[in-house]
Amino acid sequence: MKVYAGLDGGSTYLKAALIDEHKRVLRTGVTSTGIDNNSAAKRLLAKLLGEVGVNHVNYTMATGYSRKILEVADDDVSEITAHAYGVRVTAPREYRPGMIVDIGGQDSKIIYLDANYSVKNFSMNDKCAAGTGKFMEVIAQILETTIDQVGPLSLESNAPCDINSTCVVFAQSEVISLIARKFDRRDILSGMHLSMAKRIIIMMKKSEKNGDVLMAGGGALNIGLRKAFEDELMRDVFVANHPQFNGAIGAALLASERG
Amino acid sequence: MSEYKRQGTPEERRRTRFLNKSSATAVKYLRKIDELPHKPQTLDPFLDVLRHIFVDMNDAVKPENTPTVGTYCVMVPPELIYAAGAMPVKLCGGSYTAFNVGDDIAPRDVCPLVKAIMGFESIGAMPVYQKCSLMAVPITCDCKKKLAGYLGERRPTVTLHVPTGRDRDEDMEHYVRELYQFSDELTKVTGNQLSYERLSWACGLTAAAQYELSRFIKLRRKAPLVIKGTHYLAALNALSYTHISIWTQYMHALCNELESKIRRGEMASKENRPRILITGSPLVFPNFKLPLLIEEMGGALVADETCMGERGAYDPPLLLTKARTELCARSQTKAHAPAPVPPLRTTSAGYTESCKCSKITRCRVLFITFCADALFMITSIRLWKKKWASSVFPLSAWKATTTKKMLNSSEFAWKHSLS
Repeated sequence: MKVYAGLDGGSTYLKAALIDEHKRVLRTGVTSTGIDNNSAAKRLLAKLLGEVGVNHVNYTMATGYSRKILEVADDDVSEITAHAYGVRVTAPREYRPGMIVDIGGQDSKIIYLDANYSVKNFSMNDKCAAGTGKFMEVIAQILETTIDQVGPLSLESNAPCDINSTCVVFAQSEVISLIARKFDRRDILSGMHLSMAKRIIIMMKKSEKNGDVLMAGGGALNIGLRKAFEDELMRDVFVANHPQFNGAIGAALLASERG
Repeated sequence: MSEYKRQGTPEERRRTRFLNKSSATAVKYLRKIDELPHKPQTLDPFLDVLRHIFVDMNDAVKPENTPTVGTYCVMVPPELIYAAGAMPVKLCGGSYTAFNVGDDIAPRDVCPLVKAIMGFESIGAMPVYQKCSLMAVPITCDCKKKLAGYLGERRPTVTLHVPTGRDRDEDMEHYVRELYQFSDELTKVTGNQLSYERLSWACGLTAAAQYELSRFIKLRRKAPLVIKGTHYLAALNALSYTHISIWTQYMHALCNELESKIRRGEMASKENRPRILITGSPLVFPNFKLPLLIEEMGGALVADETCMGERGAYDPPLLLTKARTELCARSQTKAHAPAPVPPLRTTSAGYTESCKCSKITRCRVLFITFCADALFMITSIRLWKKKWASSVFPLSAWKATTTKKMLNSSEFAWKHSLS
C-alpha cells in the first residue's frame, strides 16, 4: 500500500494526514506547534505511521506557515492550493463549489472556487486577530470555559449581546464590562460568535456569490460559529468533513499526484 | 460535535432567519429609543406601532376590512387613498437585513432603500408588504423605475410619472391626469367612487394631522429641546403604518404633554447645544443609528427635511387658525367614519368617536336655515301675489342651493345637525 503524508504547519497547531493511493483518508493527527517545528512534525508523523502500521511514506508535502522549514517534507505547496484540493475530498456531497471560509488560529481566509474546484480568487486577514481562533481563545479564557465548550454553550442563548468592538483587545474589556452588568455567559458567547461571523463576512466579495459556502479550518468545529454564519448570511452553510485537517489532506492529495 | 437540526425547506429556513434577524434589530433599536432619557409618556403608543409592525410582524394599524395601498413616496397624495376608503402605507424600507437580500437582486448602484424594498418583496414574509392590494410607485428616479418594474411582476402596481419641473402648467396638468388614472385604479380596489364629500372628508383628516404636526414642530424648535430628535423621528415614522386619524390623536396627546413639560420647565437637553438639521435621504426605522449618535455626542437634533420626518404629511405644515381647526374637526362625520380599532395596549388610547359638533355651531346652522326658510316664505308669498309663482318651483332644489351657498364649506355640519 502506498501512503502519502500531508503536513499543515499552522501558527497554533501542526496537523498531519495520511492517505492511500485511492485517496482515502487513513489517519489524521494534531499537535501543538511549540518551539521546535521539525521535531514536532517528526514525532507526529511517526505516531500516525505507527497507528496505521506502515513504516514508509512515499511522498510528504508540507503547507502552512512553516512549510519551508519542515525538513521532513519533500516539497511544499501554498495553503490556498492545499485547501482547494482538500475540499475535493472533504466537502459534503451536496456542496457546489463556491467559497471556502477557512478560520485558523491566527488568520482567516476566504477562497473563491469555480465549478471545477480551481481557485479564482482569495481574501485573507492575517494582520488582525479579529475573526480568528485567537479571539475565541481570549474570550473563552475570560469566561472561564474551554474552546470546545464555547460552541454548545452559545447555542443555548436566545438573546445575543452586542459586542461593538472589532479589535480583540477592546472586545476583551467590553466583555468584562458585560460580565459586570450581569449578562449571562451564554448570551455573551453568542454575541461573540455573531461578531466573529460579521467580521469574516465583511471580507466576502459581493461579486463572487455563486455556489455554496463551506467552512473549514479549526474554527469550523465550532457549532455556534456555524449557526452564526447561517444567521448572518441567511443561507445554509456546509461544513467540511475533518475540517481542521482540510489543509493537510489537500497537501497529501497533492503528494499522491507528485510521488 | 453536537448536531443542531435543521427544520423545513431551505426557503422556509431562509425566511425564518430573515425574520429573526430583522426582529432582533428592531428590538435592539426600540430598546435604545426607550432607554434614551427624557422620553415622553405619550411616545409609547408610537413605539407600540413600530413594535407591532417590525417585531410582532403584523399588518398596519387600521380599522378592520380597510384595504391598504402601498406607497413609495410622499408624492402619492394620501387624501385620494383615504377618500377611496383604503389606507396608504409608506413602504420605503430602512432595514439593513432586507438590503442584504435585495443586494443580490437589484442592479449594483441602486440605493439601499430600493434594495431593501426589493429584499422585503422577494422574501415575502412581512404582512405590511404582503397584504397590500395595490402598490403606487411615483417615478421620482431611475431606481424607482426599476422598482416599479420589479413590483409590477408580482402584484398590481400603478406608476405615477411625477414631472421633474414645477414651473410649467403643462407639467402640473400632466400630473393631474395621472392622478385621475390613479383614482380609477383605487376605485377598482375598493369599489368606492371618489366624490366631493369623500374627498372633503379625507382632506379634513390630513388637515387635522397637519395641524397637530405644525403644533408639534413649533414646540420642537424650542431651545433647549423639549423632546429629543430620535423620539420625534420614531413618532413620525409611525405615521407610515397607522391610520392618520389614530396618529392624529396620539400626536395631540404628545403635544399636550410637551406643552405641560415646557410649563414645568422639564427640558430634554442642556442649553447651548449645537442645533442640527438633517436633510436628504429619509431615516426609516430601524435605521436610527445616525440620530442616536448625534444625540449621544451632544448635538440637538431640532429639525429635519426628510419625508419620514417633518415632511411626512407632505404639505409644509402651516399654523392653521382656530376657525380652520374647527373645519378639520367638523369633517370627521359619522357618515364616513371607519369602524373602531381595538387598542394595541390596554393603556393606549383607542379610536374615539368622530367629531362632536359644538353646540354653538349647531345653533348657528339651525338659525341660518330658519332664516333661509323664512326668506323663502316671504319671497314666495310676494311673488305669488304678483302672480310670478311659476318661477318659484321646484321648491326643494332652490332651497337646497340657497342654504348651500350660505353655509358654503359647512355642508357636512348641516347634514349632521339635521339628521
